Amino acid sequence: MKIDLTQFRQTFLQESADHIASMETGLLELRSAPADIELLDNIFRAAHSIKGGAGSFGMTNLVRFTHSLENLLDRLRSLEMQATEEVIDILLRCVDVLRRLLAADAGAAMPAEALELDERINALMPNETSPAEAAPEEAPELVEDAQKMMLYKVEFRPDRQLFASGTNPIVLLRNLAALGTVSCCHLHCEELPTLTDLDPSQCYLSWTVELASVREEAELREVFEFVEHLAEIRISCSDAPPQPDSLLAQNSTVAPDIADSSAPNCMPSSAERRKAPDADRRQVADRRQSDVTDRRQSSVKPSTNGDSGSIRVATDKVDRLIDLVGELVIAHVMTAQMVEDFEPSCLPRLREAVAAMERNTRELHERVMGIRMLPLGALFSRYTRTVYDIAKATGKQIRLEMHGEETEIDKSMLELLGDPLTHLIRNAADHGIENSEVRKATGKPEEGVITLRAFHRSGRIVVEVSDDGAGIDTDRVRRKAIERGLIGSDAQMSDEQLRMLIFEPGFSTREEVSDLSGRGVGMDVVKRNVQQMNGTVALASEKGRGSTVSIELPLTLAILEGLLVRVCDRTLVLPLLAVIETVPLRDEQIVRVAEKGEVVVIRNESVPLLRLSRFLGLPPQNAEAGAVNADANIRRLAVIVQSGQKKIGLVVDELLGQQQVVVKSLERNLRRIDGLMGATILGDGCVAPIVDVTAIGVLNLFSLQASTKVLPQIAASVRAAGAASI
Amino acid sequence: MQREKNANLEKEGKVRRVLIVDDSVSMRQMVGYTLRQGGYEVIEAEHGADALDKLTGATVDLIITDLNMPVMDGITLIQNVRSQPAMKTKPILMLTTEGLAAKKEQGKAAGATGWLIKPFDPEKLLQTVAKVLP
Repeated sequence: MKIDLTQFRQTFLQESADHIASMETGLLELRSAPADIELLDNIFRAAHSIKGGAGSFGMTNLVRFTHSLENLLDRLRSLEMQATEEVIDILLRCVDVLRRLLAADAGAAMPAEALELDERINALMPNETSPAEAAPEEAPELVEDAQKMMLYKVEFRPDRQLFASGTNPIVLLRNLAALGTVSCCHLHCEELPTLTDLDPSQCYLSWTVELASVREEAELREVFEFVEHLAEIRISCSDAPPQPDSLLAQNSTVAPDIADSSAPNCMPSSAERRKAPDADRRQVADRRQSDVTDRRQSSVKPSTNGDSGSIRVATDKVDRLIDLVGELVIAHVMTAQMVEDFEPSCLPRLREAVAAMERNTRELHERVMGIRMLPLGALFSRYTRTVYDIAKATGKQIRLEMHGEETEIDKSMLELLGDPLTHLIRNAADHGIENSEVRKATGKPEEGVITLRAFHRSGRIVVEVSDDGAGIDTDRVRRKAIERGLIGSDAQMSDEQLRMLIFEPGFSTREEVSDLSGRGVGMDVVKRNVQQMNGTVALASEKGRGSTVSIELPLTLAILEGLLVRVCDRTLVLPLLAVIETVPLRDEQIVRVAEKGEVVVIRNESVPLLRLSRFLGLPPQNAEAGAVNADANIRRLAVIVQSGQKKIGLVVDELLGQQQVVVKSLERNLRRIDGLMGATILGDGCVAPIVDVTAIGVLNLFSLQASTKVLPQIAASVRAAGAASI
Repeated sequence: MQREKNANLEKEGKVRRVLIVDDSVSMRQMVGYTLRQGGYEVIEAEHGADALDKLTGATVDLIITDLNMPVMDGITLIQNVRSQPAMKTKPILMLTTEGLAAKKEQGKAAGATGWLIKPFDPEKLLQTVAKVLP
C-alpha cells in the first residue's frame, strides 16, 4: 500500500502563507525590538515549519532556500548575531521570495533573487558553509550484494539508564530477530543484583544474539539507531553459511575475535565497508533513504497553484451550527407530529412551533453566512509592509496604526478590498504624508501617521484610511480638473465636490509620477471596485491636516435586508439600509422641473423623484387605468433613499414588508442592467429585481428607462440560475 | 508486517494509540494520516501544554512530538513526561529536521526514545514507530 500525502498540500500551502505573513509582521516588529527573543523564536519557527513541510511535497527550492534562512534566524534568536536594519531588510526580501517559491511550480528553476539572497545570507554568516558545499560527497555506488547469507554476532550492552529513554530492549531484540533467523540468544545477567538491591528503573541485562541474515550490517545497526548513545553495540560477521555443527561450536565460545578470524572469508566489498567509520556508514544509509525520498518527490505532480476556494472556520462556529441544526430537527419533528394529529385547539401551539422554527432558520442562515466572515486584520496586516517599503523608498518617516482589525467581513469582499486599500494606503504614504523637513517646518511631528480603521455603522462596515499629511489642495484640484477638461473653467463647485473629482478616471494632481503609487490611475479604480461591492466611497480632507477616505460596505454580498415594494403588479426589492423614510405622495406635491424631471419637496428640501414603473418599462397607465381607482391621487408612496451623498425619492405603489433576500447576480446570469444590482427569488417563487440605489444616484434619472422586455428576461435567467444551483 | 500486527490487535480491541504534538496542522494531518493507514489510533495536540492536557485524559502508547512549538516546546514536554512516574518509560519520538543536531542531542538528553526526520517518508515513519513500540 502506498501512502499518499499529496492530499495535504492545500493545507500546507495555506498554513505556509500564514507563516509567511506572520514572519513579515514579526520582522517589521523586530525593527523596534531587535533582541526580542520571543519574536525571533516565532519567526524562526515559521521558517522552520515551512521547511519541514515543503519537503513532503517536492518543493525542493523552498527547502533549499529556507535552509539558509533558518540558519540565519537561528543565529539571530541565539543572539549570536544582531538583527540590524540590513539583516531585517534582507529577511523581508526573503519573505517575498518565500511567497514566490510557495506559488511556483514543482519543476521551476530557483529564481535569481533567491540565489542572490542566499548568497547575501551566507555572506552574513562567515562560518556557515552553504548547503551546496555542506552536502555530502556523492556516495559511492552501493554494490548490490547477492543475497548472501551472513552469520552475524550482535552484542548489545545497554547502559543502566536505558529505560529512562523509553526504550524497551525487548522491542529492539524482536526487531533484530525479524531481520533474519536467530540461531542463539545469550542473556547476560551477571550484573543483576539481589532483589533487595535491585532498582527496577535500571537495566542490568545485556545480550548477545547470533543471527543468520541476508541483510547488510548497516541494516542491523539501524535497529539500534536510537540507542547508540545508550548502549555498546558490537556487530561482527562471517559469510560462512551457518552450519549446525559450527553454530554449536560458536555458541560455546563467545570469542570477540570471531570477526577477525573470519575476515579472509568475507566479500571484499563488505570488508571495506566494515573498515569505514560508523559515521560514514550511517551517511550512506541516510543517503539511500534520501534518494528514495527524492524519487518519491519527483513523482509528485505539479498541482494547480492558488486558492481552491477553501475556507477555515473556527470550531465553535461549526459547533453552534450543529446545535442549531439539532434544534431545527427537533422543532420539525414536533411540528410534524402536531400536523399529524391536528385539531383546531392545537393552532396556537402550532403557531408557536412554526415561530420557533423560523427563529432557528434565521439564526442558522445568519450563522452559515457568518462562516464566510473573516476578520479584516488578516488584510490589514499586509499593509505594514507596504508602508515600510514606501517609507524606505521616499525617506519619509511613516507609522501605520490599525484599529478594529477584529471586524469581520465576507471572505469574497475581503479579497476585493485588497487592491483598493493598497491604492489608498500608497496614496496616503506617497502623496499625503509630507517629508520630515516639511512636517517639522509646519509644526507637525516628524513621523507621519496613517490610520487604518474598521468599524460597523448602522449595519454596514466602514473601512477608513486616514493620514495626517498635507490634505487635498482644492485649488490645485480645480486647476487640474479644468486643465483635464473634467469641469468648465467657470464651474461653481463646493470644496467637497472638487475633492470628489480625484475619483474621476484619469485624474492626478501630482506632476511627477511616482513609481510607488502608480500614475494617478488608482483613485477611480478604488471607486469602481468599491461600487462593485455595493459600497460607497467618501472623502474628507482638510488642507494641512490630512485626509480620510471612508469606504462603506454591506456586510456581505450574498444576502441583503430588503424592503419589498409593489410597483404596478410587480414586486421589487429596495436595500433597506439605504431607505431613510417613506412619505405618502399626492400628485400635487410633485413639482416638474424643466430638464431635470420631477421633484418632491419634503421639509423644505427638494428631492428628485424616480418613478420605478417607468424605470422598469412598465406602462405608467397600468395603475391609473386599472379598475381599482382612476384617481391617481390615491395611495402612492415615495420611498426616500440615500444614494451616495444625495437623496432620491422612489415612487412605488405599496410597501409589502421587509425580509432578507439572497442576491442573485444579473451580470453573471444575464447581463449588467443599469440601476439593478441583482434579483432574488421570493418565498412564493416570484423573481423580484433588486434596485441598485447607489447606481441610481449617479445615473441620469430622466433617461433611466429599461426596455419592457427586461423583466421577463430577468425572471427567466434568475429562475434558470436558481434551478441550476439546486 | 506491522500493519498486519496492528490489524490483529485491532480485532482483539487493543489498538495502539499515538499522540501527535505539532503546531503545524498540515504536519499533524500527514503524520496522523500515515499512522491511521498503519492501523494506529491517533490523537493530536497543538503544543506541549496541550499535549500534557491530553495525556491526563487518555493513555497513549507512543508520543510523537515536534520540538519547536509555541507555548511549550518539545524538549520541555519530554522532560515533563519523563518526570511523571507513569510515563517514565513511555516511548517518545521527536520530529526534527536535519541540520538541527543540537536540538536532537537536547531531546535525547531529555529522554526521547528516538527521532523522525522531517520531511518524512510515510513508510519509513511506520518503520520507525515499529522500532519503539512493543
